[in-house]
Amino acid sequence: MELPSLGETIRQALALRESIFLAVQQSPQGLWTALMVVGLAGLSQALGQSLVLFINHVRPRRFILAVAASVVSYMAGYLLWAGSVWLVGTYAFNRDVAWVTVAAVVGLAYAPQVLAFFELTPFFGSPFGVLLSLWTLLAILVAVRVALDLEMWQAVLTGGLGWLLIQLWRYTLGRPIYALGRWMERIAAGVELRYRAKDVPNLRRRPVWLTNMDQWRTRRATAKKPAPPPADPLPKNIHDKDATA
Amino acid sequence: MWQTLTDLLTYLGVIIAGILVWAALSPIETMGWWAGWFGDTIHDGGIKPGNETPRLRPNPDAFLLFMSGVGKATGETLSFREQEFLRRLARAVPRLVIVDDIFPYSVNNMPLTGQPVFARLWRWALQRKLNGPRLAGYLINLRNIWQVLISADKRYGPVYNQSLAEVLLHSLLRYRYDPDARKPIFIMGYSGAGQFAVGCAPYLKEWLQAPVYVISLGGVFASDPGLLVADHVYHLIGDRDRSHRYGLLAPGRWPFSVASDWNRARRQGKVTIIRMGDMDHSGRGGYLDHQRYLPDGRAFVDKTVETIAQIIATHTGHTPAPQLQAPVHVAQAA
Repeated sequence: MELPSLGETIRQALALRESIFLAVQQSPQGLWTALMVVGLAGLSQALGQSLVLFINHVRPRRFILAVAASVVSYMAGYLLWAGSVWLVGTYAFNRDVAWVTVAAVVGLAYAPQVLAFFELTPFFGSPFGVLLSLWTLLAILVAVRVALDLEMWQAVLTGGLGWLLIQLWRYTLGRPIYALGRWMERIAAGVELRYRAKDVPNLRRRPVWLTNMDQWRTRRATAKKPAPPPADPLPKNIHDKDATA
Repeated sequence: MWQTLTDLLTYLGVIIAGILVWAALSPIETMGWWAGWFGDTIHDGGIKPGNETPRLRPNPDAFLLFMSGVGKATGETLSFREQEFLRRLARAVPRLVIVDDIFPYSVNNMPLTGQPVFARLWRWALQRKLNGPRLAGYLINLRNIWQVLISADKRYGPVYNQSLAEVLLHSLLRYRYDPDARKPIFIMGYSGAGQFAVGCAPYLKEWLQAPVYVISLGGVFASDPGLLVADHVYHLIGDRDRSHRYGLLAPGRWPFSVASDWNRARRQGKVTIIRMGDMDHSGRGGYLDHQRYLPDGRAFVDKTVETIAQIIATHTGHTPAPQLQAPVHVAQAA
């Protein structure tokens, strides 16, 4: 079965059209299309949630590397998710479907996350993020239903069991792999990613202003009138770089 | 006909998509500043250091930081109404230092027309704003609205508001604010700058340990922690002003968000809403109009000046002008 262009495929997936999920399942290029969608979604989400990189003072070049590392990590998460759905489908519902087929359909369900970049939008970005999560959940339910030929309640159960499997993996055998992922992200970022988004209200750039103020006032007071303006009345590097929580 | 309509819709779609991408990218400046990408320099607002002398007052009682609405492109482009308002305010409160060269829509007081990459675009937009077609000039308003939204956003707000608080502190020091004297500071935000006034109050208070009051003139602001931290918030609104209601987009401003900063501040009596009468948001009939008069014969701008002078007098021990009544705490929602 021929697939439409990537843009059109994503558009139809966003509209939760079952026919496009079926087409991806049956097309020989289905997996590649899904991988492209997941890659785009990963990039978009990495940018949409790049606040963490900024608050940890990541340098511009490292920013690109950190985003790339995040995309790799996102792709690994996708493979894990596709694997758990396949496992549940195979062993809980006795479906005989190839892993690749499930991976292709589940990958297309990531389409709403292609818009995750817009979570950056000030003020409206956060509620949009919630909307995207719900949208993705619906897309995954449709995808699982199509991929494994299930009823809707079975798709919901598969999703739930798949999530449980991932949690089990995460806190047992997968633990060193997650640690490796975090290490990779830290190396790419070039700094310790100490602060999370929830820390933002407690972060302070501690200006040296307050400690330098006496010195600055004395300098101005002793200057002849009219006060000869220094090129910049305050030192160029006026801030303590270390943000402290 | 059909083809033209399709083309038109396509262009419209492209423009809307462009605006959405622009909005999404807008926090990069703020967050890049935090990450140290753009250096730490704070720019002067068009008045070179040392040239503040004409605006200084001997033995000042208080300092007022005036921040203009979203139509501003530099620290200098105050409209003639704003200039006239500040002139009258300076006359009404002789021992008040007014700092009016702040460009609050930038993390480091850099005017749009001084930006390293887009300066030419903003100069062009400013020219369009002044000489027409004005639609192009609204690019400046749009860009500044993103900054207001950044300040109101829980993710970026603490960062942006700190940057702005540093700009304000820098300005106060330029105008000879003595941190040891702890003179009262009035942060006045007109229109969209109301959010900035509320947002940066906690940081100024934290650094200077001085009384910090917020005066919102038709201000648009979200439910910000600054409402609770500021010593008092005065919200001046005219009956014809609809723009200040954009602040109600923030769920924290809704009456049933009982635990929001806004509602807590109101319950604690930290917010005083002052009805300004039949005034509009801006332009003719606005708060700063000197050619429209109230039934008692005062020009709109004079009523605004007197109200603000009264607020300042309340907190500085000045003798209030006799014809003024004390600001009334209005119980119902704005």
